Amino acid sequence: MLSKIWAITWKEIYTTYTDRNLLLIMLLTPLALATIIGAAFSGFINTSNDVPVSDIPVAVVNLDQGTNANGTTVNNGDTFVSLLVPKDGKPDPSNELQTLTSAVQVADAATARAAVDQGTYAAAIIIPADFSAKLTYSQTHSIEPVAVEVYASAASPISASIVRTITGEIVNQIATGNITVEATIEALIDRAKSDPAFGLAFAAQGTNFNPDFAPAFTPGNNPVSINQQTVTGQAATFSPLVVFGSAQAVFFMLFTAMGGATSLLEERRDGTLQRLIVSPTPRIVILLGKLLGTLVNCVVQVTVLVIALTIVGSILGGKIQFIWGSYIGYIALVILAVSIAASGLATLVASLIRTPEQGNLIGGVISLVMGVFGGAFFNTSIFPSFLKAISNLTVTYWGTDAFTKLAQNQTDIGTNLAVLFVMGIVLFVVGLTIFNRRLSV
Amino acid sequence: MQDTLVQVTGLTKEFKRTTGEKFYAVENVNLDIKRGEIFSLLGPNGAGKTTTISMISGLLAPTSGDATIGGHSITKQPLEAKKLLGVVPQEIALYPTLTARQNLEFFGKMYGLGGAELAQRIDETLDFIDLKDRQHDKVESFSGGMKRRVNIGIGLMHHPQLIYMDEPTVGVDPQNRRRVLDTVLRMRQERGMSVLYTSHLMEEVQEISDRVAIIDHGEVIASGTVGELIQKVGEEDRLIFSVGDQTVSDAVLDKFKQITGVTSAVYSQKQVGNGDSADNNTGNGAPVDGLVTVFAKRGRKALPDIIRVANEAGLDILSVEVREPDLEAVFLHLTGRALRD
Repeated sequence: MLSKIWAITWKEIYTTYTDRNLLLIMLLTPLALATIIGAAFSGFINTSNDVPVSDIPVAVVNLDQGTNANGTTVNNGDTFVSLLVPKDGKPDPSNELQTLTSAVQVADAATARAAVDQGTYAAAIIIPADFSAKLTYSQTHSIEPVAVEVYASAASPISASIVRTITGEIVNQIATGNITVEATIEALIDRAKSDPAFGLAFAAQGTNFNPDFAPAFTPGNNPVSINQQTVTGQAATFSPLVVFGSAQAVFFMLFTAMGGATSLLEERRDGTLQRLIVSPTPRIVILLGKLLGTLVNCVVQVTVLVIALTIVGSILGGKIQFIWGSYIGYIALVILAVSIAASGLATLVASLIRTPEQGNLIGGVISLVMGVFGGAFFNTSIFPSFLKAISNLTVTYWGTDAFTKLAQNQTDIGTNLAVLFVMGIVLFVVGLTIFNRRLSV
Repeated sequence: MQDTLVQVTGLTKEFKRTTGEKFYAVENVNLDIKRGEIFSLLGPNGAGKTTTISMISGLLAPTSGDATIGGHSITKQPLEAKKLLGVVPQEIALYPTLTARQNLEFFGKMYGLGGAELAQRIDETLDFIDLKDRQHDKVESFSGGMKRRVNIGIGLMHHPQLIYMDEPTVGVDPQNRRRVLDTVLRMRQERGMSVLYTSHLMEEVQEISDRVAIIDHGEVIASGTVGELIQKVGEEDRLIFSVGDQTVSDAVLDKFKQITGVTSAVYSQKQVGNGDSADNNTGNGAPVDGLVTVFAKRGRKALPDIIRVANEAGLDILSVEVREPDLEAVFLHLTGRALRD
C-alpha cells in the first residue's frame, strides 16, 4: 500500500513541478511581493535591511518599597532603575542597555501607561511595591516569583519585545545578585566562626568593610546573566523581509494547498479518480496519496521561498545573512507545521465543495481572508483586539509569528507549533472522513 | 460448457432526487457473463447501463444485491474482485501532462505491477495499442483516437480476466470506431478475456456480441444471443415511414394493424437539430421528425396497402425504409420506443 501512496504522491509532485504557470504562482509571485512589501516597509535598499533599533523610548516606574535584609534597607527597584535609566540623562557608553533604550523614570504608573498610549514611549516598565521583598534571598527567605508589568505599545511590537526581554533579564540578574551577596556574607561568617584570627581581623575592619557587589548586578559581568549580544544582536538582524516574506510564503502556500486538495474534484470531473477507485486500491490510500502530495508541495514551496528570501535579503543588505535566525531545526518544524495546517484546511474545504470551480472560488476567498488577517499585507500588531481575535484563527498568523520569533532568536514557539499541528491534524481527519464517505456513495 | 466469470444477483441502486423523492436507477438486475465471451448491455441513454456497471466495478455501492467476479464479491472482497477487472471508461480518463508511458506506468502501479514486470507490460501494451513511437509524448499532444487507445491500453495492461468498456465508440470517427471494435475482438481472440460492453448503438453490439442484455428504465427486459433476441420479433420486417411534423392518431395506427400481415404499428417522434422555430416542435423549440414503424411479415408485400391507408387518412409519407429484423426492432418491440429516442 505504501508503494501506491508514494506513486500517487509522486505523480502530484511531478505534475506540479512540471507546470511552469503553477511554479510562477507558487514561487516567483510571493517572492516578488515579499521583496517589494518588505522593501517598502524597511527602506533597506542601498543601505541595510536592519530595523534601526536604538534609543527605544521607555518609561520606568519604581513603586518598590524596599525591604530589610540583614538589618540593612535594600531597594532592588532602585538597582533596576540605575541599570536602565542614565544618571543625569547621560547614557553610560559602557552600558549597552542604556544605548539600546532611552529610559526615563516616571513617578506613577497611570502617567506612564497614558504616555505609552499616546505614543511617547514604546513601553512602560512598572516595578511593583513588593519587588525587593520577593527578590530577597536569605537563610529564612527564598526568592519568589515577581510580576513586573511591561505595558507596551501595539504600534511598536519589535521594541516592546526587546523591552520585555531586557526586563526579564534584569530581574533575573538582580535575583542572581542577591543570591551572590547573601552567599558571600554567609561564607565570611562561616570562616570567621572557624578561623578566630580572621574573625577578629574582619571585625576590626568595622565600617571600612565596603565590598563592591555592583558587578553581581551588572549584566555583562555575569555568565548567567542576559546575553546582551543576543538582545541587541537579534534586534539588529531582524528584517521586515522575514515578516512579510513568511506571511507571503504561507499565504501563497494556502493557494497551493487549496489547489492540491481541490484537484481531487478535478480528477473526479476528468474521470481519473473513478479510474483509481476501480483499481484494487483502497479509497483511503488514494486520498492519503493525494494529500501527502499536497503536503510535500507546500513544504517544498515554503522551503524554497525561505531560501530565496535569504538570498534576496543578502543581496539587498549587501552581505550574506540568514535572516530567519539560527534555529534551523525549529524553522524546519514551523515549515512542516504550517504545511500540515494548510493541507488540513484545504482537505476540509475540498470535502465540503462539489466542483473544482467552487473549490477555486471558496479556497481563494479563504486564502485571501487568512492572508489579510494573518499579516500577509499588514502588520497584525496594529489590529484592534477584535481583529486580533480573528487573526488568531488563521494559519498565516501562527506561521508568520513563529517565523518572526525565530528570526529574533526567540524559541518560545511551542504554542504556535501546537496550534498549527492540532489545527492541521483535526481538519485533515475531519475532511478525510467526509471525503471518504462521499466517495463511498 | 463455459465457466461463469461474473454473476450479478438482484443488483439494485436507489438514488434520491433533489426534491427528496427516491427512484431506482437500477432495479433487481440479474446477469451472468461466461469466461471468454463478449457480453453487451444495450439500452438507450439513461437506461441504467453505466449505473449497473459502476456497481459491478466497485465505483458505486449497491443499495441491495451483489456481484461476483471470479467468485469474489464486489461488496465483500472488492480488492480481490477489482484485480480481475480492467476498465475502459467512456470519457478519456488520462493525465494530460504525463506522457503515454507515464500514464501506463502510474495506473500499472495502481494494479500492483512494478519493476521489470511493469516495464514489460507497458512495452507490450504500447505494442498492442500501436503507440510505441509516441510513448514519450505528453498525452495532451495526442489526437482523440490516440488518447482513446491509451485509455484502452490502461484497462488491458494488468491482463484482467474481464474488461469492461463503457460506450468506447461515443464521439469517435468511423475509422477509429472500427479500430476500437477490432481491439475488442482481438482481446477475446488473443487473450481469452471476457468483455463487458455497453452501448446504445445497435449495429456494433450486434456485430461483436456473443450475448446481449437489453436494459431499459433500470431493468433487464431481455437477454440472450443476438439470434435468440431477434426470434422475439419473429420473422417480421420493419417498415419505417417518415411523416415529418404530422401527428398520427391511434385511429390511423389501428387501420394499419388491420392490414394483412401487419402485427403492430407504433408512432414516435424524434427531435431534429436545435431549430429555433416554434412551429413543428415538441414544445421545446426543436423541430421533430415523426416516424411510423409498422411490423409486418413479408413487409414489402404489405407496403402498397399501408401507403393506401395512409393516403386515405390524409397522411403524407415523406420516405419509407424497410429493415430486416435486428436488435433495434427487438427493443422497439419490447418497449414501444426506438433505442435512439
